[in-house]
Amino acid sequence: MKTQAITAPVPGSDMGHEIVLRTTGLSKRFGKLEAVKDLNLELRRGEVFGFLGPNGSGKSTTVGMILGLIEPTAGNIELFGLNLRDNLWSVLRRVGAVVEAPAFYPYLSGWDNLEVLATATGGVPKSRIAEVLERVNLKDRASDPYGHYSMGMKQRLGIASTLLRDPELIILDEPANGLDPAGTKEVRDLIAALAREGRTVFLCSHMLHEVEQICHRVAVIKQGAMLTSAPVDELLNRGHMLRIAVADIASAEEVLKKLPWVGSIKREDSYLAVAVPKDRSSQVAEALAEQRIFPSEMISHSLSLENVFLELTGGKSGD
Amino acid sequence: MIRLIDAEFIKLLKRQMTRVLLFVLVGILVIMYLLLLAVSKVAPLGGDGRGMGNAENLLGLPVAIPFAFSMLSSLGTVLAVILIGSSVGSEYSWRTVRTMLICSESRARFLGAKLVTAAALIFVGAIIGVATGFIMSLITTALGGYSFDFSFMTSAYIRDQFLQFWRTLFIIMPYVLLGFLFAVVGRSATSGIALGIGVLFLESIITTLMRLAGGWVADVPNYLLAANVRVIAQLNSLPSRVGGGFGGGGFDISTPGVWHAAIVLSLYSLAFLIAAFYLFRKRDVTS
Repeated sequence: MKTQAITAPVPGSDMGHEIVLRTTGLSKRFGKLEAVKDLNLELRRGEVFGFLGPNGSGKSTTVGMILGLIEPTAGNIELFGLNLRDNLWSVLRRVGAVVEAPAFYPYLSGWDNLEVLATATGGVPKSRIAEVLERVNLKDRASDPYGHYSMGMKQRLGIASTLLRDPELIILDEPANGLDPAGTKEVRDLIAALAREGRTVFLCSHMLHEVEQICHRVAVIKQGAMLTSAPVDELLNRGHMLRIAVADIASAEEVLKKLPWVGSIKREDSYLAVAVPKDRSSQVAEALAEQRIFPSEMISHSLSLENVFLELTGGKSGD
Repeated sequence: MIRLIDAEFIKLLKRQMTRVLLFVLVGILVIMYLLLLAVSKVAPLGGDGRGMGNAENLLGLPVAIPFAFSMLSSLGTVLAVILIGSSVGSEYSWRTVRTMLICSESRARFLGAKLVTAAALIFVGAIIGVATGFIMSLITTALGGYSFDFSFMTSAYIRDQFLQFWRTLFIIMPYVLLGFLFAVVGRSATSGIALGIGVLFLESIITTLMRLAGGWVADVPNYLLAANVRVIAQLNSLPSRVGGGFGGGGFDISTPGVWHAAIVLSLYSLAFLIAAFYLFRKRDVTS
């Protein structure tokens, strides 16, 4: 069941129509392995975009290509309307990213690590380091060596590093990995706040409950190929089921098969399990009534994003 | 590029390994001088009146600086390869290469900044090494009861040592760039350090064996690193019996000329440098 978090951005509220990131026919081949196949993505300014897929599905390879770390075999990437290949370093200045897991120098403190990045980037005042550390609640531990940080602290430092350059697009790979429930909520709230500031967030995650709460749209990939890309609401709507109890199951099934927006129909004892968009439930009742079939029971059942994801990907781990 | 160099300095200067390498360099030089002092005290003239005389010579101020250069060309090369190998390779093992590349102006500049920073530290390390040799010579001269005589400090001597300083850095360079290349190729500090130092040691053995083989095989080392490094190192005005460093000495049947050595070493350095930059520019940065 989809629940709307208090802090989550309202889909569409802050989103513009400006395309921040567009990939067209993006493909990557490593020898015989086709890691990413003809991927078309579009991210609009201010949206939180969930990029989902089992392990080894090509998420990190896609992120690597977007950040210029991996050369695509085919296809095109545009960031802020500019071709990535021709404008790599100028557009990357507008992007903050954590690729796969946060990676910093273990012997340097959290502050020193950010100082290294700020120095390498240029134009980042020291006050900004304090600001971002404050924002991720790491200010008190800023002088501790990164190697002594817990997984949650590492994640938070990773997020802090993405904010150094005041980026327009933030790419986060599993940012809630290793965080406790309080930390997960903090990160979720932070991402929502970033989106409210007009930043675009590209979120790779396995924590589908979190994605469901904070993302406007999601794309699901498996074995490098896009399975679906849709607003979260639409995807959940697609995963809506009706369990209908009727006396004449066969007749009811015949009626429902004729409705174009009805998905799968399964018989379950004296029930029919019908995949139907949530907003069409009343039309199902109408269609049956017109044929003088009156259900004794209609139970609405929404799938979670996790169920939708498992259904789309076949429910098998990519490991 | 300046920004990236600054960032590299923060990383290297705050890294304990950098201080350990400097400590090893100074420590070994100090130990060497103290050992020489001990040896010269035990048998000042030696059996034939020559062998231990060399130890005594090394304690003397005129030879102190050339001897430090000799130590630098061997020990310093090993330490410099460790420095560059870990500077480049650790970025892969810590996976920070991706973090850094995202905020670098270009891959070439990122790698260039690493090279410039390591070169600067090697330069400073060489100065500290020479200074240590000189100071230790003063100390051992005083401890040994030898007389202080600075009459050797002529303009010609200073000019010669100045040249030798650059010659020492020149013969360290190909091995440093080899370690740099291997760290890029192997994407790890281990490959850079192990292969860089491995070549340094193994080539001396291979060179010696090739010289023994005779014929055209004996000439092959003239186009490898070790024999040419030895030619440049021998320009050092050190007593012949204590000339050191790597270079596969002892069987130099057809020693190449100085210009030959300089050109071969320059070509190798350039080739290692270009290969490292080319590979790094083209290669995918994956986990």
